[in-house]
Amino acid sequence: MGNFRSLIDGVYNLLLGLGVTARRLPKPAVTLQYPKERWEMPERSRGIVVLLSDKETGELNCTGCLLCEKACPTGAITIEREKNEQKKWYARSFTVDNTICCFCGLCEEACNFAAIKMATMYEFSVYNQSELIYDINRLQELGRDVPYTPRPKKKPAAKVTEGGEADKAGEAEPEAEE
Amino acid sequence: MELCGIFSWVGDLLREIGLSGTPFLIVSNVMVAAALLGILSLMALFLVWWERKVSAHIQDRLGPMRVGYHGALQTLADGLKLLQKEDITPSGADRGVFFWAPVITFVACFMAYVTIPWGEGLIPADLNIGILYIIAITTFTVISLLMAGWGSNNKWALLGGMRSAAQVISYEVPLTVAILGVIVLAESLSMQKIVTAQDGVLNWFIWRQPLGFVIYIIAATAEVNRTPFDLPEAEQELVAGFNVEYSGMKFAMFFLAEFLNMFTVAAIATTLFLGGWNGPILPSWLWFLGKTLVIVFVLMWFRWTYPRLRVDHLMEFAWKWLLPLAFLNLILTGIGHYLWETLFG
Amino acid sequence: MDEEIRSDQLISKSTDSGFATEEFMVNMGPQHPSTHGVCRLLLTMDGEVVKDCQPHVGYLHRAIEKISENRTYAQIIPLTDRFEYLTSMACNWVFCLGGERISQMEVPERAEYIRVIMVELNRIASHLVWLGTFGLDLGAITPFLYCLRERELIMDLFEMTCGQRLLYNYIRVGGVSRDLPVGFEKKCKEFVGYFMPLVDDYEALLTNNPIFLTRTKNIGILPVNMALNYAVSGPVLRGSGLKWDLRKDDPYGYYHKFDFEIPTGTVGDTWDRYIVRINEMRQSALIVKQAIEGLPEGEFRAKVKPSFKPPAGECYTRIEAARGEMGAYIVSDGTAKPTRLRLRGSSYNHIMVLPEIVKGLKIADLVAIFASFDAIMPEVDR
Repeated sequence: MGNFRSLIDGVYNLLLGLGVTARRLPKPAVTLQYPKERWEMPERSRGIVVLLSDKETGELNCTGCLLCEKACPTGAITIEREKNEQKKWYARSFTVDNTICCFCGLCEEACNFAAIKMATMYEFSVYNQSELIYDINRLQELGRDVPYTPRPKKKPAAKVTEGGEADKAGEAEPEAEE
Repeated sequence: MELCGIFSWVGDLLREIGLSGTPFLIVSNVMVAAALLGILSLMALFLVWWERKVSAHIQDRLGPMRVGYHGALQTLADGLKLLQKEDITPSGADRGVFFWAPVITFVACFMAYVTIPWGEGLIPADLNIGILYIIAITTFTVISLLMAGWGSNNKWALLGGMRSAAQVISYEVPLTVAILGVIVLAESLSMQKIVTAQDGVLNWFIWRQPLGFVIYIIAATAEVNRTPFDLPEAEQELVAGFNVEYSGMKFAMFFLAEFLNMFTVAAIATTLFLGGWNGPILPSWLWFLGKTLVIVFVLMWFRWTYPRLRVDHLMEFAWKWLLPLAFLNLILTGIGHYLWETLFG
Repeated sequence: MDEEIRSDQLISKSTDSGFATEEFMVNMGPQHPSTHGVCRLLLTMDGEVVKDCQPHVGYLHRAIEKISENRTYAQIIPLTDRFEYLTSMACNWVFCLGGERISQMEVPERAEYIRVIMVELNRIASHLVWLGTFGLDLGAITPFLYCLRERELIMDLFEMTCGQRLLYNYIRVGGVSRDLPVGFEKKCKEFVGYFMPLVDDYEALLTNNPIFLTRTKNIGILPVNMALNYAVSGPVLRGSGLKWDLRKDDPYGYYHKFDFEIPTGTVGDTWDRYIVRINEMRQSALIVKQAIEGLPEGEFRAKVKPSFKPPAGECYTRIEAARGEMGAYIVSDGTAKPTRLRLRGSSYNHIMVLPEIVKGLKIADLVAIFASFDAIMPEVDR
């Protein structure tokens, strides 16, 4: 009798499984037809690194503080900076090596001037590896229309002062290392 | 719409140009075989596409969508790709065995169609031992799988070949016994006669042989190596089983043969249990195709729902459950048929 | 060589059955569909029967621990993502927990809640991948697609929060890197509501399916004693019947605030390990629900200098990750870089206990047991 019962049970459960798959059969697909349909990336999505510019003046927000270069775990960012007429630092060249970038977003987090961001762009395949090393113009071009909401000012006082300190440290240390 | 007309028209044409006797037979048979090959190739392409579509929709995907309307030409594109592939023979392989295995598997599954009735009068050869012939011919598959497993000089392939030998031979027995029940009822081995004995929906043998039908479907699933009985090519255990070393067109032959075998067993199920090409209004070959594709769909549905059996459970199931049940079915059928004949016949 | 000795013994054994069979050795992996990455099992087989199994690891060694000695604490967090990439949140957390313990830092309440939400969601995602591949290894392909379908939704939640779907780099020493985005709570609640009934669907496909039962029931029984001897942890240990969960037994974070159960198995077979994980998914979803409902307002990160320098000292922290005990041993000499970082993953123990229980079973069982251990290679090799 127990055997018979387990047989009925087994057949019932086999049919149950068929029921699940049959129920799914007429439902619409959840997948996207990728090149034709695209998923809208959330704003925080970490794609390639871009440099943001001031919307009005069109100049880069970057002040050449080297914080992102220091923060980068793989050393993908290389910055050469110099002082302009007003004795302020600016980045003369800013290179991101996308072949070793690990898309961790630490550069974006380190930046205090809303100058660097990981944009939502994700298609950057090329035939030649050297084309993946983006220079400052390319990065600026890519970041031209990237929307940017500054980080919430939850801890403004702390962050800015500390960031300021770090900023100074960031200015001092690389020179010392060099 | 009856396709029979075409064949008699072609026959008349051949006679008109003066063929008769042996040359007429040869030419007409070659033409039928060529037509069959064409239809079956198309059918295999269609089945591959259909399987992909069914699986995709069960899994909330869309499946192939790019080549042709909803990917209808995808299999053709894949076939062309496989044609271009390098045909690799592993260095330690037994070349002859390795080469002939896919050929035999394809030829065997093609030969089974000699006695499959596609419609009223649409049967390449109505042998009086039709069903016996099919059972004999489909067993060739196991030889080719064993050859593929042995010839590849690969341990995984060998395991797959051994599994397939054990499995196909084991399930051949309940399959045949399940079919015997139908033969008792139809009192004939000829496929055409079996079909004509099932005139009208109520006379379909599935109503008189429900157990036999279930046993047949289970054994047939095992016979054509499909999930839950796809052990010979259990990808997660044996990488790809017997065809692990095959590439290019040889692999394509295995692949197409697998789908054609599925169609074969579905066609036999239709013929034996679902009244074959019998059906109102629509042309008979459409009925046959429709019923067969329904069975094929059920087999696909199984595949995309169930996990795989283990090899010893598989054997246990065949010998301890399926075979006794099949014999029980046969005995009951025999007694029932005898009583029916003596009381009412 | 001991291989020869072994084959001699076995050949004499197999002649007892009347005819001599020859056993053979076969490499299962590093490229094999069901070794989940690059595990290599050297199998001695007699036909379908596994006579011996030697696991070989090390194909995915990336020297994370060594590289970490030259990185600042913030820079190590992206590396820990790669430590065990199916539960990156947990890896981030265990490392940050170490940093916090050494420097005895208080973490804001909101951050703790966010961490719990993230790690539990990640646990669900990891178990979904496991369930899918487990079904796949047993030959059921469809559950895999269903599981990944739900996992995508969790990935969406992660992406809107921290920007990536796999390597999150989200949890920081002292909190989390960003606050939850607008609309996260609503989406997360929606997900939990949507997910709970779907677990029943997976169960309908597998749990009581007779084929599944024959493949898993009483297969690969791992006794509690052996499990403890091999330091096996997580769902595998709980499947063997021991109620050991670091969330309850060595509490960290805010787990003491949530009400949840620890599912355990009875026999320790493959099916028990399966059902433990299935129920864990439900419990995790419940924790996420509670955490979302009780999410407090406030800071999401303690005040930490960008150049975080913990005082000299050392500590071992451990958390209950999806696969078991995940630990981080940090030695700090007071500089911005750790002197030594040791990461402990549970998969290594799971693989090492495998040979003990697969001998004499079929290769199909080996695949099922291996899958039920849910070992993944990056965690083994680091």
